[in-house]
Amino acid sequence: MARSEPFRFGRERSPRVLGFVMNIPTLITLSLVLAYPIFYAAYLSFHKVSLAELRRGVYPFVGLANYERIFSDPLFRLSLKNTLIFTGFSVTVEIVLAIAIALLIDQQHIWTSRVTKFLILVPYAVPPIANGLIWSFMYSFEYGFLNRILYTTGISHTAVNWSGDPSTALIAVSIPYIWRTLPFAILLSHAALQGISQDFYEAASVDGAGALQRFWHITLPLLRPIIVVILVLRTSFAFAVFDEVLAITQGGPGDATWVASWYSYKKGFAPPFDIGAGAASAYVLAMIIGLLAISYGRLIYRRIQ
Amino acid sequence: MIDVSQSSPFSFPNFISQGLVEPLDELPGAKEYLADLTDSAKQVAVYDGKLMGLPYFSTVWVWNYFTDLMDKAKFEPFGTYDELMEQLRKAKQDKVAEYPIFWVAGVGLEQLPGTWYQMTWNRGGVFFDKQGAHQLGTGSIARETLKWWVRTFKEELADPESLKAQFTSSAKAFGAGKNLYRGPNHHYDLNIANDQAQSPNAGKIKVHGSSGDGRTIGDTHVYFLCSATRDKAWAWKLLQYLGGKTKDGQYTQANNLARDAMLGSGYNSVMKSTAITEGWKPWGDPVKILEIWDKATYVAEVVPSIYKPWHFPWSDRINIEVSKALTGQITADACCDNIIAAIKEVQKG
Repeated sequence: MARSEPFRFGRERSPRVLGFVMNIPTLITLSLVLAYPIFYAAYLSFHKVSLAELRRGVYPFVGLANYERIFSDPLFRLSLKNTLIFTGFSVTVEIVLAIAIALLIDQQHIWTSRVTKFLILVPYAVPPIANGLIWSFMYSFEYGFLNRILYTTGISHTAVNWSGDPSTALIAVSIPYIWRTLPFAILLSHAALQGISQDFYEAASVDGAGALQRFWHITLPLLRPIIVVILVLRTSFAFAVFDEVLAITQGGPGDATWVASWYSYKKGFAPPFDIGAGAASAYVLAMIIGLLAISYGRLIYRRIQ
Repeated sequence: MIDVSQSSPFSFPNFISQGLVEPLDELPGAKEYLADLTDSAKQVAVYDGKLMGLPYFSTVWVWNYFTDLMDKAKFEPFGTYDELMEQLRKAKQDKVAEYPIFWVAGVGLEQLPGTWYQMTWNRGGVFFDKQGAHQLGTGSIARETLKWWVRTFKEELADPESLKAQFTSSAKAFGAGKNLYRGPNHHYDLNIANDQAQSPNAGKIKVHGSSGDGRTIGDTHVYFLCSATRDKAWAWKLLQYLGGKTKDGQYTQANNLARDAMLGSGYNSVMKSTAITEGWKPWGDPVKILEIWDKATYVAEVVPSIYKPWHFPWSDRINIEVSKALTGQITADACCDNIIAAIKEVQKG
């Protein structure tokens, strides 16, 4: 009795064609979910769009007028500056803390590190706006937890207006943000640490390298790819910080915590709903994030090579 | 498509100028509603001679004081701003309160700007004259009012939490009983400050009128019929249910809002009804509040820029600059100069 041949759809495709076909669903999904909004935002940024235009469904073309307007607005320039400070501070602190904490919880012989591994994920589960509100209560001038600690421990007998003082407000917004997003960076760093072979460390120890030297010459170079990933992702997200600003300071006091996404929101989603200018400012933000991502990638991968 | 929406008085002129609001004059029963509107509600709901919306609720700006601390300090509610300042200083000096006054000075359209508008108007000032010229120059009432206000922060008489306080949060904070006075705010916040469930000092927060002739500001929020509606007849029914009369011929929503939330109404008949005179009693003294009500002027008389499309970005600048002045980053003079400069910037669009 002749053996039956396995069923095939016609002729077998070449790997290249098959790869292309298999990617089509992803391509379509990403086009709809990511590319369309991005291009549509670009389209809006070149048009006059407010409630009246939305109502009529006709958006007059205004060329670069929206961009000219936002770049001539001192508040936009200040928002960008505040965003850069916020991003620089929060991403730097996050990376340093993430590596330090990842090294700690990587110590398998310390049983508490297993508990810590779990607890460290808790802030990541807190919704951003809830996180902002929690910290807003903690910062409260008269009733806040932070001032209570300072007072009861005798560190300070004068309450600090954490989020209401222009000199501390941006930091006051950064800390809750770092607290919320740090677990992600720790997870990535920890995963990368586990991928480093113990042979390197053993060989270095035999050669007489101390803990600091092992970290500097083995751990850190091998963590560089993951640091790039963290840098790119965290920078992108830090540039778009919004929830903590909304919940804690609403841009204040004065303009001390006006950041770029807050500016875009106020332009586009607060009266008089200048959606065109809002899209333009958001697009400028996206361009900066894109350029930074490319620069990071090139810089750090070149060093690795 | 949206059939009916609601608007603050600050947004309404903007919505109208953008063609989002449908006039109501020709709709059945609209004339009866118009005839019953309060003067204050008319100033918001009638635009270019056309009825554009029905009242959601009305409010006036009043002061509050906390009886326990006032008794402890042996103060009577202030009569002038000088007297108020003296009381605040004395209360602080005598350690009756660390921060004797709590302001509604959080970022917003009505909060921080509203406090400044109210005190300026009470002192006889406006922000723009009838010709549209600003009234913020050197020696202006608005500028002098701001200087006075800044002093309460500089001398640490004002609670620093004021700068984050919206109406509701300021009512809750004041209900904690740490301050003697609460600056001008919506009258209906008493339904929080004097609510047993929300305030440890319920019943001890009293209403006080403003200095001098007692003039204050007020406003009315409105419901409107969206021009995008596909079924105008149905939308008109919904609009009447929310902002007018129900099938039984009663202002059901307005009456309920008065009894449940201490809100005022944009209808004369509701304002004179037991919904107000009895409905407000659990939280405050209706007679006293209605006396203040009679001295209220629509806020757009004080800040006519509300009718201009550039009011919103300008209001943002007011929030920023005044907040800077109150936190000592700039002087009151610099603040007013910046706000004057901002008028031209925002007018460019």
